[in-house]
Amino acid sequence: MAEREKLLEIKNLKQYFNQGTSNEVRAVDDISFDVYRGETLGIVGESGCGKSTTGRTIIGLYDATDGEVLYQGKDVHAKKSKAETKQLHQSMQMIFQDPYASLNPRMKVNEIIAEGIDIHGLATSKKDRMEMVYSLLETVGLNRDHANRYPHEFSGGQRQRIGIARALAVNPEFIIADEPISALDVSIQAQVVNLLKKLQKDKQLTYLFIAHDLSMVKYISDRIGVMYFGKMIELTTADDLYRNPMHPYTQSLLSAIPLPDPNYERTRKRKSYDPKQHNYGPDEEVKLREVAPGHFVHCSEKEFEEYQKSYKN
Amino acid sequence: MKQLKKKVLEVKDLNISFHTFAGEVQAIRGVDFELYEGETLAIVGESGSGKSVTSKSIMRLLPTNNSEVKSGEILFGDKDIVTASEKQMQKIRGKDISMIFQDPMTALNPTMTIGRQIMEPIIKHQKLGKQEARKRAIRLLELVGIPNPESRLKQYPHQFSGGMRQRVVIAIALACEPKILIADEPTTALDVTIQGQILDLMKDLQKQIETSIIFITHDLGVVANVADRVAVMYGGKIVEVGTVDEIFYNPQHPYTWGLISSMPSLDEKDDELYVIPGTPPDLLNPPKGDAFAPRNPYAMKIDSEQQPPMFKVSDTHYAATWLLHPDAPKIEPPQKIKDRMVEFEKGGN
Repeated sequence: MAEREKLLEIKNLKQYFNQGTSNEVRAVDDISFDVYRGETLGIVGESGCGKSTTGRTIIGLYDATDGEVLYQGKDVHAKKSKAETKQLHQSMQMIFQDPYASLNPRMKVNEIIAEGIDIHGLATSKKDRMEMVYSLLETVGLNRDHANRYPHEFSGGQRQRIGIARALAVNPEFIIADEPISALDVSIQAQVVNLLKKLQKDKQLTYLFIAHDLSMVKYISDRIGVMYFGKMIELTTADDLYRNPMHPYTQSLLSAIPLPDPNYERTRKRKSYDPKQHNYGPDEEVKLREVAPGHFVHCSEKEFEEYQKSYKN
Repeated sequence: MKQLKKKVLEVKDLNISFHTFAGEVQAIRGVDFELYEGETLAIVGESGSGKSVTSKSIMRLLPTNNSEVKSGEILFGDKDIVTASEKQMQKIRGKDISMIFQDPMTALNPTMTIGRQIMEPIIKHQKLGKQEARKRAIRLLELVGIPNPESRLKQYPHQFSGGMRQRVVIAIALACEPKILIADEPTTALDVTIQGQILDLMKDLQKQIETSIIFITHDLGVVANVADRVAVMYGGKIVEVGTVDEIFYNPQHPYTWGLISSMPSLDEKDDELYVIPGTPPDLLNPPKGDAFAPRNPYAMKIDSEQQPPMFKVSDTHYAATWLLHPDAPKIEPPQKIKDRMVEFEKGGN
C-alpha cells in the first residue's frame, strides 16, 4: 500500500506505576508505533505485558509518564480546551473486555447507549435520540425491544454487543477493543468478530485490537504487534508475522497456539523463551529495528544482521 | 490407538433439574458415558450445555437446596454416587475423585498458606502425620514444577502468579493420587504459553500416576491436544462421542460441524467466520424434538417431532442426529468439514 494516512502516532510512550518507589512497575516502557487509517492493528502478549495499559494510556484513561500519543497530529495528553477534549473523546472509543463489569447495572440499555449521544449533543430531539438508539441496536444485531431492559437480562455475547453499540453511538473513527471476545464462548466469539469486521467495512473504522488469542488476532488484524514486558518486540503484517517470526519470544508464542487438529497437536514442539538467551552486552543498544520493509524487531545490532540474513521473502 | 481398558466410572441416563423461580430447568437430560482407566475424556460444549453440571454431579457438589437428580446412576466401582451418603462422599472427594477448578484466583483459600492447603487432604485421607505430610507436599510442589518448594510452602496464594496458583491447585488435586481427576476449564484463565505448560504437566502426571481425566473445556484446540476421546454436549445431552480423531476428522453431528467451523484456522482470512445461527435452547421448556433443530440448517421434519437416538458410526463413535438414519437423505457437510474428512480417509482410520 502506498502512502497511508497515519491516524495515530505513538512516540516513546512510557507508563510507569508507583514511580520513584521501590516497587516501580514499568508497564509500558518506551514503545513507538503508528496506526494507519482503516487498518486493524492487533496487539498480543501474555497477561502483564502491558498491552491493556497501552490501550488505556492511548485513550487517556491513564496519564502517560512520558512520550506522546498523537491523534491526527494532536497530542492526546497535552493540555486541551474542553471542546478539544470532547472532540477527541468523540473520535476515539473503547470496547472493554468484561461485558459483565463494563455496563452499569442500574442503567437501562437505552440510557447506556444514549449517554454519549447526550454528552456530545448529537440528537436534535427526544424522538431522534430514541431513533438513534434503535438503529444502533439493530446495527449490532439486537432489536428495539431490548432498549428498555437492564444489562442483567442479557447473555455475555449480547452484552458485548451493547458495549459495541455504546462505542458506536458517537460515530467514532477509532476504536480500541481491549480483549472484546476473551470472555465469550467460541461460537459467540465468531459472531462478535464478524460484527466488528462488518462494522469496519461499513463505517471505515480503525481498530486497535488487543487480545491474547492468537488465531483470532491473526484472523482480524492487518498488522500485529507483539509485546513482552512493556516493550514492543515485533511489529509487522499479520501474514508476515506467522510466516517469518523473527524474535524468539514471538516464535515461542506462535508455537503455543492450540489448533483444533489432533495430528498437528501430537507432533507440535513448543519453544520456550528466556530473556537471558539474548546475552546482550552492556553497551549494546537494543531497540526496534526494521529488519525488512515494514517488519520491525526489537534487537541488538548483531542480532539485526542475523535476522536480515535469515529473513525469508 | 490406545487399547480401551477397564471402566472406572459409568454414568447412566443421568437427569438433573434445577428448581428456580421461573420453573424447573432441565439442565441434564439423559447423559450416558463411560470413563476408562488412564484415558482423558474431553467434554466440550457452549456455556449452558450442561458440561459443568455433569462434572459437579460426579463430585456431588451441586447445591442441595435447588438441584435434584431426577433419575440415573453414577457408578464409581460398586458405589452409586447419586445415592451415597455425605459421609461416604467425603471419603471419595479429594481421594478417589478430585477436581481442578477453572479460576485459580478463587479456588485457593486466601487466608491459609498453600502448604496447609496441600497438606489438608493428605492428613485427612492418608492419615499421615504433619511432618510426613509436609514432606509429601514438598514433593508434590516439585512434581508440578514450582521452584524452592520449601520456602514456597509458607507463602499465601496472593504471592503466586496465576499459572503458579493453577499448579498449586493441581498439586492439591493430585495429593492423594486420585483415580479420577475432573478438570473444569483448567487453562481458560491462563495465557497461551502458560496454558501449554499446564497441559504438558497434566499429561506427564497422568502417565506417572495412571489417573483418568475428565477435561471440560470449550476450546477445541486444547481438546485436540489433550483428549483421547471427546464428548460433545448440547442442550443437556451428549450429541456426539468418539475418539479425538473421529470427532475432529470425521464429525457427524451438525452441531459439531458448527463448532469446528466457527474457529478460524491460521491460513484463513477473507471469508466471514462461520456462525451457528440462533441461540441455545431454553431448558425451562426443552423442545420436544432435537434441541439443535431450530439452529440446524440440515434439520428435517422429524427433528422437530422426535429426539434422535444415538446412531452408531463405529465401535467408538456415536452421534445423535437423524441424518445418520438409513432413510435420511444424503447431505453435503460444509466445505471445511469435507476437507477434514478427506484427511480422515487418507489416514485409513
